[in-house]
Amino acid sequence: MKRWIAKSIGGLAVAAFAVTASFANPYEKYKGTTIVVSWPALSHYGKAQGLIDQFTAETGINVEVDALQYLKLRDRQILEMSKPEGEYDVVTWVVMWKGEYVSKGLLTPLSQFFTSGALVDPKFDIDDIADAYLQNGGVVGGKKGYMPGKSGALYGLPFGAETSIMAYRKDILEAQGIAVPKTYDELRAAMKKLGEAGIPAMTSRGKTGHQVTAGWLLHLAPLGGKIFDDEWNPVFNNAAGVEAAQVMREIAQTGPKGIPAFGFGDAAAAFLGGDAAFYIDTLKIAAMARDPKLSKIADKVGYALHPVGSRCGSETGGFAAGIPANSQNKEAAFLFLQYITSKKGDQKMVELGGDPVRMSTYKANADKFAEYPVILEQLPCADADWRPLIPEWNELNIDVLGQALTEVITTDKPIQPIMDAAAEKARAIMEREGYYAWKDVN
Amino acid sequence: MPGVGLNNVVKAYGSTVIIPDLSLDIRESEFVVIVGPSGCGKSTTLRMVAGLESVSAGTIHIRDRDVTYAAPKARDIAMVFQSYALYPHMDVAGNMSFALRLAGTPRAEIDQRVKRAAEMLELTDYLDRKPKDLSGGQRQRVAMGRSIVRDAYVFLFDEPLSNLDAKLRSTMRTELAILHKKLDRTMIYVTHDQIEAMTMADRIVIMDQGIIQQVGSPRDVYTAPKNRFVAGFIGSPSMNFLDGELHGSGSKLEVHGQGFKIPVSKRMQITANAAKDRRVTLGMRPEHFAATANKDGKYAALNLDVDVAEYIGSSQFLAASLGGQPITATVDVGPDAEPMGSGQYFFDTNRMYLFDRASGEAL
Amino acid sequence: MANAAISANSSEPSAPDGDRSVAKAPRDYRNIAPYFFIAPAVFVMLVGLVYPVFDSLYLSFFDWKIGEPFSKADNVGFTNYLRMFSDPDVWESIWVTFRFGFWTITLEMFLGVTLALMLEKPIRGASIFRTIFILPLMVSPVVVGLIWRYLFDARVGWINYYLGIWFGIEPQVWLGDAELAFFAIVFTDIWQWTPFIFIIVIAGLQALPSEVLEASRIDGANWWQQIFLVKLPMISSILVIALLMRLIDVFRALEVMYIMTGGGPGRATELLSLHIYNRAFDAQLLGYASAIAVLLIVIVTVLSAGILIIGNPMKDKSDV
Repeated sequence: MKRWIAKSIGGLAVAAFAVTASFANPYEKYKGTTIVVSWPALSHYGKAQGLIDQFTAETGINVEVDALQYLKLRDRQILEMSKPEGEYDVVTWVVMWKGEYVSKGLLTPLSQFFTSGALVDPKFDIDDIADAYLQNGGVVGGKKGYMPGKSGALYGLPFGAETSIMAYRKDILEAQGIAVPKTYDELRAAMKKLGEAGIPAMTSRGKTGHQVTAGWLLHLAPLGGKIFDDEWNPVFNNAAGVEAAQVMREIAQTGPKGIPAFGFGDAAAAFLGGDAAFYIDTLKIAAMARDPKLSKIADKVGYALHPVGSRCGSETGGFAAGIPANSQNKEAAFLFLQYITSKKGDQKMVELGGDPVRMSTYKANADKFAEYPVILEQLPCADADWRPLIPEWNELNIDVLGQALTEVITTDKPIQPIMDAAAEKARAIMEREGYYAWKDVN
Repeated sequence: MPGVGLNNVVKAYGSTVIIPDLSLDIRESEFVVIVGPSGCGKSTTLRMVAGLESVSAGTIHIRDRDVTYAAPKARDIAMVFQSYALYPHMDVAGNMSFALRLAGTPRAEIDQRVKRAAEMLELTDYLDRKPKDLSGGQRQRVAMGRSIVRDAYVFLFDEPLSNLDAKLRSTMRTELAILHKKLDRTMIYVTHDQIEAMTMADRIVIMDQGIIQQVGSPRDVYTAPKNRFVAGFIGSPSMNFLDGELHGSGSKLEVHGQGFKIPVSKRMQITANAAKDRRVTLGMRPEHFAATANKDGKYAALNLDVDVAEYIGSSQFLAASLGGQPITATVDVGPDAEPMGSGQYFFDTNRMYLFDRASGEAL
Repeated sequence: MANAAISANSSEPSAPDGDRSVAKAPRDYRNIAPYFFIAPAVFVMLVGLVYPVFDSLYLSFFDWKIGEPFSKADNVGFTNYLRMFSDPDVWESIWVTFRFGFWTITLEMFLGVTLALMLEKPIRGASIFRTIFILPLMVSPVVVGLIWRYLFDARVGWINYYLGIWFGIEPQVWLGDAELAFFAIVFTDIWQWTPFIFIIVIAGLQALPSEVLEASRIDGANWWQQIFLVKLPMISSILVIALLMRLIDVFRALEVMYIMTGGGPGRATELLSLHIYNRAFDAQLLGYASAIAVLLIVIVTVLSAGILIIGNPMKDKSDV
């Protein structure tokens, strides 16, 4: 009802000014409109409220936020977007869901808006947004359906995206005479040395299920491994996959006690509590390390690039935001999306304590945060194929790899057979879901 | 001396004394019934003999052995409880043989003893039944069978018949008396029912407030109660008590009370003359009243105001008053008599009792 | 019913057997009354119990993923069941559940009965002990999971801390080692559920008729014989009920393991209910998880029926 009135007023305004035609600013036309945003109740989004207030003040477009616990987000969004007319005008998704949303026709391609001169800010500069973030969260339909590629199209802009970097304890490394590792060989040597000295080396997630798999994936990409080849054959049991598993085993052996039971929070807490010399995972560790409520080691932490094995490759993950196909205020929604990911919005997010998505923002603030120069250098080699963004990944992630890798880190059994068995199970899943149907044709 | 002996036994819970000082000797093979109102300490006494209650002071002997601190199983006793206390998960044979099995008695002997006890109690057909499938009387017999099989030196009975109906109770009384004859064992039987005591006992022990009031044969306690309590407790219906004063002396001694003047019988004259306090209580059992005077006896005529006459077959039970005091009488008038009314009745003065009004002791 | 009575009355003048039908009407009414009174309970049972079971059975024939409308789910027939019977993970989980059930129930029964026998008599401080023993029962399973997760924590847990200080034992990764984690959940379950056995058994012991116990003393039973030959057999129906409730609980147990280990490491602590949960909500295989849930219902039903046949608590109820 409210929205209908708002729309009518908007229509009247259009009619009244039709003769004189031009607007004072691009937002004028949507003044008084209310858009509804669905996003997770996570720290970055909580801090975005300041940005929203600024947006409403500047544009006259009202924003209503529906913040949900992120596990409930997907069901709610799908429900809304399946209706003929949805409540939501902006939705944010975990990168994992993007393929499903697009294949079900729930999202509006952003090209619809980027073709409109009245809507696009000429200074928006989409190339400034970290490419890995944009490709990983926003582009759908490229290579393998989720990677960049000519067949891909843009459906969303990254907001609350992340990659991995390495955090380390300057004091411990200095005391032990260890140089900051740049490669996996150096890292493993450092872990060995710390282990022998009785100092817990690296913390990691290790709990059975998606946690241990995430820990292992962080090493798989830089060591040159992948889950599937281009024809969906599981290849994570090749030399790189086994080596990554070996690294996980060494981490569990030399790291803080209890890694096989660590979830994300436990792993971070071990580092923040001073019980580990290294941390390789999301860049969010930097903000946590600065928070005196969480951290005992604020001034002792240094940041470096995610070490390199046979290649440079860091994590890609987090969220991106787009516009549902059944939104009733698509233009206003686009203006909002463009605003929060603009240079000005990105900078505001940094000031509010959130995570930026633009290279220029990282550059401009490089002297303020120790991790920014590292992230700036890290982002270009973030791996878009870090994990397959397909629906079958859930089962593979938790039931297959999550189990196999637990065996790796809690036993001394040879790794190759464990990974081979997991690959067999992965193949069975892919077979069941019809991924190999093209084999006989070609 | 063999048998059971309690010597200066005291039972107290903290400062509450239940039994101040009790001594009692029970001869071997004797059937002793301890009777008294509820709370008189009779069950406690029995349980001390059984070893289920500790003794605060004094000693208990069974067959010349001091068992004051012995465990129940070491006393060579068997006990039958009011609630029968059967093991619900065992069949009748199991219940009866439990003690023997615990003692490691050979299988064949157990079977033989159970069989014999079962025959004695007519339980042979029920040996493989569980207690819940038996009637109350059968359960009671199983409880007795359990004791019989033990062949213990002393049998203890704690109000074993009070959960049975009146008819069954009288049957079981007879059976118990027969059983005692057959087994020829010492039995101590606790009850609040004086009829059970009178019918079964060799000797009756009457207790009140933790103190033994009188020990004696059923005839003794009925004919020569030691005090007003015993006189009132034994006999059914209860003895009538009327306050009175002694007048005259020698053979002319009379009891005067409200509405009556009764000559003291010859039997009582010597003791009554000796009583310093002339204030007495006159005791008259209801069954010693009659509707007509009998020439052989000494009778006193009394004018009773009859409120109700209850027909009980060959006699009538009268609820009446004498000089304003309530009095009951049972008169044998034959089954065809009309309900009796107020008028003159006769009391057999040979059967009178006199008690010191202050102490309650018999004169 | 009122109508039936009226029509019976109105037919009385014309019909010769009018008397009989009038007499019949109120008797029918009384026969129906019991059904009328249990109807609400039956309704609640149907809605709350039977419907979900049948829904789960129905769902087990579909391949349904979370978020997808059910109308789009494929009917896959018995595929889920065929997959289940050849799925080693399901069997491993059942095996874990049985092992867990064996150890927890055995030890809980032993400890619960022992404690009850020790605290049965009114000894000094018994009521304080009883209150303390009952406390774990009052704690919600989620909180129990959290408490023990942190107590067993390898890095900051009290258990490692005190084992180190008192016994010089190296810190153990309690929740990250297959055997230690299994021990940890068994230990936690015993901590939480022994009081349940304790309460039930002590209530049973205190309700035992004292004369029967006295009779057994006179019959010559010593302390052990009194317990094993008289007391425990007499409360056997209570023990069977306690056993049955614990057994069903083992197959329901979810929260504590979910929080402490999430079923890990590997499937070392993944009880069947947690396995179903993980399949349904982590791997998002709703249809397959439903098929396993049906298997769970079958197992629990068979076990319960077995226990009831061996020791039906109702058949002795006249004694209790």
